[in-house]
Amino acid sequence: MSLYSIFESIQNTSLMTGVEQTPWVYPIIMAIHLSCIAVFGGMILMTDLRLLGLALRDQSIADVVGGLRPFKRIGFVIMVTCGLLMAGSEAPTYYPNPYFWTKMILLLLVGVHALIFKPIVYDHPEELDKAPLIPVRAKVAAVLSLILWVSIPLCGRLIGYYEPNEGKAPQSSNLRRLTKP
Amino acid sequence: MASLAFLQSNAIADLLNNTEWGFAVAECFHIVFFAVAIGTIMIVDLRLLGLAFPRTTAAKLHHDTWVYTLIGLTVTVFAGMALFLSAPRMYSLSGWFQFKAIALFVAIIYNYTIHYKVASSSPSRGVGVVVGMISVLLWVAVVTGGLFVGLLA
Repeated sequence: MSLYSIFESIQNTSLMTGVEQTPWVYPIIMAIHLSCIAVFGGMILMTDLRLLGLALRDQSIADVVGGLRPFKRIGFVIMVTCGLLMAGSEAPTYYPNPYFWTKMILLLLVGVHALIFKPIVYDHPEELDKAPLIPVRAKVAAVLSLILWVSIPLCGRLIGYYEPNEGKAPQSSNLRRLTKP
Repeated sequence: MASLAFLQSNAIADLLNNTEWGFAVAECFHIVFFAVAIGTIMIVDLRLLGLAFPRTTAAKLHHDTWVYTLIGLTVTVFAGMALFLSAPRMYSLSGWFQFKAIALFVAIIYNYTIHYKVASSSPSRGVGVVVGMISVLLWVAVVTGGLFVGLLA
């Protein structure tokens, strides 16, 4: 069974056909997806800027990391769930899209980032507050996180610009803008 | 409509419509800086709602975040204006665009009047919750309106 046929099978499940064919469901899921990106993506950016010592400097790192953690987790789960529903409902269309695969790789790297830095940075924010200077490992974690979380929504948007026949982004046209991203 | 036709032929429209990546780049700036603005506003809103940062005040958080909010909103609005100028006639005729523009206008006014005043003071729990909730709803309306401009115009 090829990967493409798996993508077709995913799209043909009752859940995904329901998402694609029921009026308003796809736009509503996308609205929730993008709202979460705006709200929780912004929180991720501010957490990273705090680790870099560039924002919220009057707040302890522990307060920023700990205070926003539950909301970022909830937002991440909602974002991923909505993203899976959108991608699954048009899975074969996404299959040849290089921006889709780039986004998937970036999301995988988010997992790798968490595996590496959660034990040494995010699980011990009090230690970062006690240090005279913010440790390099925390700044590296923040820079990589910033790169990843800026790239992911950009790739998500660029998915809508890909045209398989040309293999590259088209000249922006009004017609293209009005299609599903 | 004559003024829209005049707006349709401008240098920004040429750049965005006649280059391969112009529109996409402007849209990326619009999205990323909007996340910065919304993220910082939400940090203050979470405190007003009593959901995070119990050891600090909304006023302190507002003081720490307002520059990022301002930068985020400024870039977002300018990038958005550039996107609008790429096809002013199409956007002007979109009901969802009109909804988004009104929601954005109200949200910005609200953010720099009521939201600012309450966040800068020491509001009661009830006032904080109401003001924070209205802020969240306004910004979600802006995001939703912006999305539906593209999907359902």
